[in-house]
This record gives sequence, C-alpha cells and structure tokens, in this order.
Amino acid sequence: MPTLLHAIAGYFILLLTIRLLSRRPGSQMTVFEFVLVFLMGGIIIGSTMGNDRSVTNATCSVIMVALLHRSVSHARNRWPAVGRLIDGTPLLLYQKGAWRDEVMRQMKLAPEDVLAAARTKGLTGLAEIDYAVLERNGQISILSKEKEK
Amino acid sequence: MSSTEQFTEPATDNGPLVDDAVEVGEDLDFQRAWWRFEKIAWIVLSLVLIGDAAGLFGRGWLAKAEVTSPDQTLHVGYERIERAGTPSEMTLRIGSTAVHDGRVRLFVSESLLQQLGAQRIIPQPATSDVGPNGVTYTFPATGSPAIVGIELEPSFPGVHRIELSVPGAQPIEARIAVLP
Amino acid sequence: MAILTILRAAWGYLFLIFISRIVGRRPGKQLAPFEFVLIFYLGGLTLTGMVGQEFSLTNAVTQIMTVAGVHWLITKVRASSPRIARLIDGTPLTLLEGGQWRSLSMKAMKISPADVMAMARDRDIGTVDGVRSAALERNGEISIIKKQDNKQE
Repeated sequence: MPTLLHAIAGYFILLLTIRLLSRRPGSQMTVFEFVLVFLMGGIIIGSTMGNDRSVTNATCSVIMVALLHRSVSHARNRWPAVGRLIDGTPLLLYQKGAWRDEVMRQMKLAPEDVLAAARTKGLTGLAEIDYAVLERNGQISILSKEKEK
Repeated sequence: MSSTEQFTEPATDNGPLVDDAVEVGEDLDFQRAWWRFEKIAWIVLSLVLIGDAAGLFGRGWLAKAEVTSPDQTLHVGYERIERAGTPSEMTLRIGSTAVHDGRVRLFVSESLLQQLGAQRIIPQPATSDVGPNGVTYTFPATGSPAIVGIELEPSFPGVHRIELSVPGAQPIEARIAVLP
Repeated sequence: MAILTILRAAWGYLFLIFISRIVGRRPGKQLAPFEFVLIFYLGGLTLTGMVGQEFSLTNAVTQIMTVAGVHWLITKVRASSPRIARLIDGTPLTLLEGGQWRSLSMKAMKISPADVMAMARDRDIGTVDGVRSAALERNGEISIIKKQDNKQE
C-alpha cells in the first residue's frame, strides 16, 4: 500500500515537473535532456519501491503507474479541458507575413527556430511559408505557401 | 541460377485497399478481439492492485495475523504473507505464567532463523541454547507481558511452517508464505 | 537458487512488454518527453524487482543475458509467425477513410481529430479536406496520405 501511494505521487510529480519545463522548439532532444529525463525517472524509483525490492512489489507498482497513465490518457481524451491542462494547445507562431510576437516571446522562441524547421522541410525562407504552428509536443509544423499555377 | 532462386518474390498488397487506393494492412477483426482482451486485462490488473492494497500479497491488512497459544502463555503477531528480501517484524507477548525467577524462555523454530531469515531479536537474549529443531532463548524479564520482537528478512520464496513456544507450554504453529 | 535470478529477469522483461503493449502511447512521430520519463520509471521499477538484494556481478550478468536471450527469442518468433507478430505489435488501423472518421477506432485508441490534424500539418496539409486517408501505424505514428490533384495539365 505505501508503495502504491508513492507510485501515484511519483507519477504526478513527474508529470508536473515535465509540464513545467517549457516546451522545446524543434524535434530532437539534446543529450542533456535525455540525461535529465533519466535522472528524474530514476530518482523517483527509490522512493517508490522503498525497502521492498521484491518482484511482487515491482510488478504491483508497474501496474499502478500503467493504470495511472492510462487513466490520465483517458481523461485527456474525454475532457478537452484536461487535455489543455496536461498537453497545452497548438499555437500559431507565424501567420501570413506576420510574427505572433507575444507567443514567440512566451515560448522563448526566435524566428531562427521557425526557419530551421522550415529548412528541414526543404523550404528556403519566410517567402515560402504561410503558417508556422508550435504543436503540443514541441514540434514546429510549417505550412508552405500554395504554389500558384 | 539457383543462387537467385529465392531472392525475389512478387510484390502484392497486404489486403483490402482503403478507399480503393491505399494499402493500410488493417486487421479489424483481430483489433476488435484485442480491445476485448485489453478490457479484461485491465480489470484483472485493477483487481491485482486492489488485492495488493488490501495486503493479499503481503505488506498490508490481510497479511497480518495474530495467534494466541491455547494456555495463554504466548501471543504472536506476525505476517502470514511475506515478501522475499523485504524486512518485517514479528511481535511476541509472553504471559505472566511463563515468567519464572525473573527469566523467560522462548523456543523459536529453525525455519524462522534460517529460511525466514531472522535478523535480530529484541531485546538481546541472555543465553541461546541451540537444539535440533530450533533455538531456545532465555531473556531476563521483570514483569509481564514480556514483549519480544523478531526482525525477519526472508531470502527466497516458499512456504514455511514455524513453531514458537514457551518450553513446557503449548506451542503456536503457523505457516508463513514468502512471495518472490 | 540461480534459477530464480533467471526467472525474475524473464518475468520482468515479459511483463514490461505486456504492460507497454496495453498502456498505449500518445500519437506522434516521436515519444513525448513525459513518455521517456515514464519509460524510465517503469523500467527502473522493474529492474529493482529483478535485482532485489542480489547485487553481485554474477547476478547482473546472468540477468542481462537472460533478458537478451528472451528478447532474441521473441524477435525470432515475431519474425517467423505473422500471427504472433500481430499479438506483439498490433495491426495498423484506419482512422480516416472516404471523408469519414472511424470514430470507434479513434475513441478506442484515444486519438482525437486534433491529433490527426497536427500530423497533417506536419505534412503541409491545412484542412481535413486535404487528407485522403489517415492510419494509425503499429508504432504509434499517424500516417497521412494527401489528396492528389488529379488534373493533369
């Protein structure tokens, strides 16, 4: 029982911590972020299992975390408000020739980040972009200008 | 050229086409069966969790047990279900009838000391007399009930019979299961 | 009791596969940062139970070899039998076909139209009309097929 409670606390602490670290622009996670992620996941394990390192305890705590994750996913899907809380919402960064400055500032993004994303799509510059959207998972999607025939 | 015999195979689509054009390779019948299986799996897992919280697998309310010997000389509080590698504590209350000359004697079966991994006995006994089936401890005792604690940490899973008694009086026998 | 060490390792690995199979993941090309954390959390809990109190190098090597061995076995079985591969990996699922959402599939896999549109935007498609079909692949990715303009000039 103590392990189960610790598992619940651990899961939500991790969720909250990750959520508070602001969304990263771009698609790749840096080595440092990997380390950070492993560090946080690993630290919470000690407190969850405690002094009970049996297979029984490990299995039950894995089930608990899995159940929690599934319940949160379900809640996220069923109630959009929960989804917004946990994932955030897509944000428009660039709209037909104008930068959305407030959004860029708050998400700590520079035009360079958007241009980098455009380059990975094979686009050469702002002239070819209609919209740039910061997705919930941190990726920047680029909608290119329709080519007039 | 037998070396190229099995090198190539005609390429065909994997199944019915979506929208008459896109080959997705979907197997909806399997998926429906899988969704049913998932529902059942989650119910079973939830039951396992409830059992765990209740102590069905040790470390909880259902695992705790209290036994008293018929002649009231000994009362033991222990856990019926233990977990391997996990510490637990057994509490013994020895009745006034068992206290003689300011001393109290206690027989602890071998299974508790070996397989169930007794780590410490609190308080430290004055003497330990080793016997064929277990050890008889002698504690100095001032009043009753005399309380003795045994810290256990079993190493391996299994089911073990234990016996505890005040020598000369009726024993307490019980079974403790150790989960992996 | 070395067999117990092996059994614990095998159980840990297999149970983890089972759990990751039925927990499901957020749709998207990559794992979200939180999912990475979750993976490490689950993996770490499992390994703590596997190792228990046995910290020797011998036990560690035994368990590593056991996990590698079971993994090899599963990979082999999965490659040779399509039915087992289906059990382990699942099957692709159509999400959008002929202008209709497959609502049952989407609800069951907890995918919303917004998730599919996010993926569409990644493929440079702005609206639902531009999507010919969308499917949820076995690895969790949502694949989009664009509507082609059929006019040949």
